Amino acid sequence: MMEKTQFNEQNKKKNFNLLPAVFVGPHLLIFLVFTLIPFIYGIYISFTDWDLFTDPVFVGLENFKTILFNQDSSFYKQFWNGLQNTFFFVLITVPFCIMVPLVLATMLATRPKLHRLFQAIFYVPSLFAISAVMIIWQFLLSVSYGPINSLFGLELNLLSNQPWAWISLVIVTVWWTIGGNLVIYQAAIGGVSGDMLEAAELDGANAFQKLTKVVIPSIRFQILYTTIMTTIAQFNVYGQPLMLTGGGPNRSTQVLIMNIQQNAFGSGMARAGIASAMAVMLGVCIMVVSIFQFVLMKKQD
Amino acid sequence: MQRKNKLTISRTLMYVVLLMAVLAWLYPILWGLFTSFKSEAEIRQLGYSFLPINWTLSNYREILFENPSTPIISWFFNSVTVSLSHVLLVLVVTSFAAYGYARLDFWGKDVLFSCLLASMMFPSIVNLIPLYDIMTELGWVNSKLALIVPGAGSVGNVFLVRQFALNIPKSFDESARIDGANDFQIFYRIILPILKPVLIVTALFSFTGSWNDFLWPSIIMNGVDKLTITPGLQLLQGQYRSFPGLGIAGAVIAIIPTFLLYLFAQKYFMESLSLEAGLKG
Repeated sequence: MMEKTQFNEQNKKKNFNLLPAVFVGPHLLIFLVFTLIPFIYGIYISFTDWDLFTDPVFVGLENFKTILFNQDSSFYKQFWNGLQNTFFFVLITVPFCIMVPLVLATMLATRPKLHRLFQAIFYVPSLFAISAVMIIWQFLLSVSYGPINSLFGLELNLLSNQPWAWISLVIVTVWWTIGGNLVIYQAAIGGVSGDMLEAAELDGANAFQKLTKVVIPSIRFQILYTTIMTTIAQFNVYGQPLMLTGGGPNRSTQVLIMNIQQNAFGSGMARAGIASAMAVMLGVCIMVVSIFQFVLMKKQD
Repeated sequence: MQRKNKLTISRTLMYVVLLMAVLAWLYPILWGLFTSFKSEAEIRQLGYSFLPINWTLSNYREILFENPSTPIISWFFNSVTVSLSHVLLVLVVTSFAAYGYARLDFWGKDVLFSCLLASMMFPSIVNLIPLYDIMTELGWVNSKLALIVPGAGSVGNVFLVRQFALNIPKSFDESARIDGANDFQIFYRIILPILKPVLIVTALFSFTGSWNDFLWPSIIMNGVDKLTITPGLQLLQGQYRSFPGLGIAGAVIAIIPTFLLYLFAQKYFMESLSLEAGLKG
């Protein structure tokens, strides 16, 4: 009798505990195995020498010393060149990825004719595969086949001459990615300030004043959110320079993830430890910049 | 009167600027589409006519059926299988987890969920190399599972669906419980139907995310015929550097599914983004 009660209680308790595990467990398992463990493992690997096949050998801070300070090492040059190019790309791309959709959203907020169609046209490229977008733009900008050269009467290979290579990468990225931010801003503007815009207009505010005095303050939160998300996304830039400029001319558009990919999975011997150290450094930069942006923008409130 | 004039002028000016932007966004798509219907000879000889003079399907025929080194049909169907399986797994795993975090009480729930949210700060680039090693251990290199499963651990999806599950009144569950329903029945019969819109949004974004995934499949799938179409196009680009018609036809084929999805589910795409930004406010 006692035994049976105990068994029942245990059974009950077990059921009680098992239920959440059934619901939450599958997701948690996938998260652990494919997100948390790789993250921790990735940090560990950055302290090792590893060829992807044999066991990683712990080398302490050696990889970081090499990429950060050893001026004779090619990894040092790769890291700093890649990081510098990545930062440069983020610095010039992010403002456009915020301002362009903001201006477009403000204009669409007045609900001009066909505004739904226009919204769709701005949004749709962001659903396209990066490689498809890059193939189209590569030929669009090409000196032999593209209409851009003939349109402006140029005889110039835009993708292998600076500053055109950078300008091309920025234009392509803005064209490809503004859709998400645009829709977020439109929803935010639609929710707040249709009347206020009209009132400002009647008070004689010009377009720029409307944007800075009415629109931006009323959607501060969405701007903060999109700025941080866009910055993180652009730090992970890879496909555009890979497929448009190949990192050229003279490695001037070679971004850090291209170096990480080549060192770990390229044709030569895998240097996964070095590549991981580069990845960790990039990760640190992303986190520091995001936190910095967050604090800065919160402060302005 | 003057004021009204000024208003009309500024409106017109705005419309002109807007139209120019629309044309700038539309041009690459239309140019690409039309170029894919021009013969290579026409592209070379006639320079830059916008519309094809003789419409032809030769690029599509050649890229689809006559190039075994870039098996675009296999890539396409690999992508279909991967993306659909991924969506299915995401929906099951996410809705279960969302129910657990929103409607069940268990020890450590809030701490656990806060930890999950905090993990969204992790920069994903750090995971790339070790993930490859984990796939090697699991024997998933070159397997579709490597593309289907990892993304299902996304915390963002669970967060989104959980927010909706939290808003469903508790009285719904309780009355069902009095009628003798267990948690699985409550989940399936009551909660899931209410969550349908947000699950559709999750499905759409999981599909496009999976379809457009570029770096990861290019690393983990190293047989040409195993590739999905998005990384596959990189090979195609290398092969057809001097054949715009063929390269662009390949790009158009890769774009079609996500474009169609947008046409049919436009409403959900638009709602979802405002939802995303609104929720976190």
